Amino acid sequence: MKYLPLAWAGIWRKRSRAVLLLLQIASAFLLFGLLQGLNSGIKQAIARAHADRLYVGSSVSLGVPIPMGLLPRIRSVPGVKLVSPLIQFPSSYQKPGQGIPLDGVDPDAFFGIFPDYVVPPEQIQALKKDRSGLILGAIPAQRYGLKVGDRLPLQTQQPKSDGTNAWSFNIVGIFDVPSQPNGAGAAIVNYDLLNEARLADRDTTLLFIALADTPAHAPAVAAAIDKTFANSPHETRTQSEGDLIASQIQRIADIDLIVGGIIGAVFFALLLATGALMMQSVRERIPELAVLKTLGFSDGLVMGLILIEAVLFCVFSAGIGLGLASIILPQARAQIGITSMPINVIVNGLIFAVVLAIAGSSVPAWRGLKLQVAEALADR
Amino acid sequence: MTFLKQTVALTSAGLRSMSERRGSSFVTLISVTAAVGVLTSLLAIREGASIFNGGNARPDIVDVISRGATSTPQSVITRDTLSVIESAPGVKRSPDGKPYVTATTFVSVDVIKKNGKTGNVYLVGFSPGSALVQSNVKIVEGRQYRQGLHEVTVSEPIRKMYRNMNIGDHLVLLKTEWTIVGVFAGNDSIGDSVLRADADTVMSAFSRTTFQAAQVQLTSPSAFRQFKDALTGNPAIAVEVRTLSQSMKDNFGQLTSLLDFIAYFVGTVMASGAVFGSLNSLYASVDARRREIATLRAIGFSGSPLVISVLIEGMLLSLPGAFLGALITWVLFNGNVVDVAGLIFKLTVTPHLLEISIMWALAIGLIGGSLPALRAARLPVATALRAN
Repeated sequence: MKYLPLAWAGIWRKRSRAVLLLLQIASAFLLFGLLQGLNSGIKQAIARAHADRLYVGSSVSLGVPIPMGLLPRIRSVPGVKLVSPLIQFPSSYQKPGQGIPLDGVDPDAFFGIFPDYVVPPEQIQALKKDRSGLILGAIPAQRYGLKVGDRLPLQTQQPKSDGTNAWSFNIVGIFDVPSQPNGAGAAIVNYDLLNEARLADRDTTLLFIALADTPAHAPAVAAAIDKTFANSPHETRTQSEGDLIASQIQRIADIDLIVGGIIGAVFFALLLATGALMMQSVRERIPELAVLKTLGFSDGLVMGLILIEAVLFCVFSAGIGLGLASIILPQARAQIGITSMPINVIVNGLIFAVVLAIAGSSVPAWRGLKLQVAEALADR
Repeated sequence: MTFLKQTVALTSAGLRSMSERRGSSFVTLISVTAAVGVLTSLLAIREGASIFNGGNARPDIVDVISRGATSTPQSVITRDTLSVIESAPGVKRSPDGKPYVTATTFVSVDVIKKNGKTGNVYLVGFSPGSALVQSNVKIVEGRQYRQGLHEVTVSEPIRKMYRNMNIGDHLVLLKTEWTIVGVFAGNDSIGDSVLRADADTVMSAFSRTTFQAAQVQLTSPSAFRQFKDALTGNPAIAVEVRTLSQSMKDNFGQLTSLLDFIAYFVGTVMASGAVFGSLNSLYASVDARRREIATLRAIGFSGSPLVISVLIEGMLLSLPGAFLGALITWVLFNGNVVDVAGLIFKLTVTPHLLEISIMWALAIGLIGGSLPALRAARLPVATALRAN
């Protein structure tokens, strides 16, 4: 510990060079933090998913509607507690940019399957009674200053059978999703209302959401649902919530591969940069190191000093980069739903920094170990 | 003239001494290569996706979707609406009176990639008019699908990317077996990202009664106004009419700008890393030549050739990185077929991308050279000469 100030002083020996290397390392770790933060944010969302929620869609693809007629048969599969249809209509309030997605569901079943959607029970009852009722997410409610009792005119993208796109709903409740920062962005309405008014795909649903009695039973229940419809004209594919998120992300792009490639290129370049600069710094300080040895510092200690210096410097610089990344990352929360930098990314980043420092400074440290005092001082 | 001579002399002196700074020059080269390589790879994705931004779309083709829909999946076109579109003014007609109109229906289909991962393509049903409107889509192998039969054609990239997509293979969707009968080529609005089949056959297989969109060829691009007014002014139907290029921009514009943002953001962070590396290398270059520079100043060389020579050295240091980075990207990725959000396209490393990477490398060298150049110019001659 007592050698830390010495190592620290060694770092700042050439100030401008140290600052530049610091910035170079910090920008590499900024990128590392952002990319890995994004990646592990997605992985966390998959891990957070409720295993007992099952999504029953068409075996062709999730976008292909399936008939409502399957509902009673899914409900009668042993182990299924609740089932709700789900259809989604993108819609906008007042003008095109102000989107509020509409989810058409069976209110009782839906809020039973999603206990993390917090809404007073009497509001769910009100939605059941009022066919054109709507339970609004807390986010749009706050953004547009809407409250229970207001009428909410919306324009959907899908046309109604009367040829228009205009809908009018009564706000009978407000729901919030405390466990997910962006969860409360949609509006929940009665499936029946949307279904009867729409022009195309009537009496179908995008998917059914089913709740298994326990998470442990979920895989068996999913298999049983698919077996019920196997070899019928409407074969289904039942996925758990985690599977669903994973497959949707895989549809967008192979994120792991891209992130891995960029980080690989960054660190390869960085390893060379730190290595070369450490080597240069040691070369310039050979006489100083020799003086230390003359003063009684052992070979090992001189090598240790060089290593500590590198580790200290890399961890310090990486910390700045990662700190910056954790400030920037939450700015993108609206798009990706990440509230804070996952702690494991910071830990991994710092471990990376230590490895980088040791790999980059091993050659100079070896030179420090082998340094012959007489030779090194001969130039003086 | 002396100015030029001095600059040349100083630059060549700097370059000759570069071999003594092999380590730091090499590091700069690698940093620039990495920054430029990553930037061009990401831009190659964006460049490939630019076939979707509508720039090359034919001006006489228009898309019709239902009012309010922002993209095709939300749109509904009934058979009644279709017949109104077919009889609208401005629609091109064949000699026997057939309108150049094709209605389409989209079914998203999960498929398995050759690497075992799941992917997603659209099975698109086209009504018979597609032979007229999309005359640029040709069968290059096998034959065209036939109406009433469960037959599809695939694009070459789909055949390469996904399992069981060769001619003669079968695709089972909802108990129905579809046979792959041919390979098509030629771009329409979604290019290679689809399987093509007959619209009526697709609709009956998926129990649909409505189309989703219609594509129309006009007598000429100038007929657009007339055609649009006739449809939007008709109270019996609720549709939106957009030129093909506008509709592509609306459908895929967000994707292109997102790809742009990612490429330039990541590229900027990496490039600033490379700038710091380059600064370090050039500071070292100037420091190592302190006495030499001071001597030159003492014998009458002025400051500005010195500044310019350091800047040139900076740019020359990073230029090979640009070529190397672009070359690596080209070797690794050019022509690779990728799919992003269900769209299939080729990564393309164009000369334009090489230009961009050279610009970036020059900028890195210029910025990286500026501070060391000033230091060299401001070097106090007397102190520098005394230094060992």
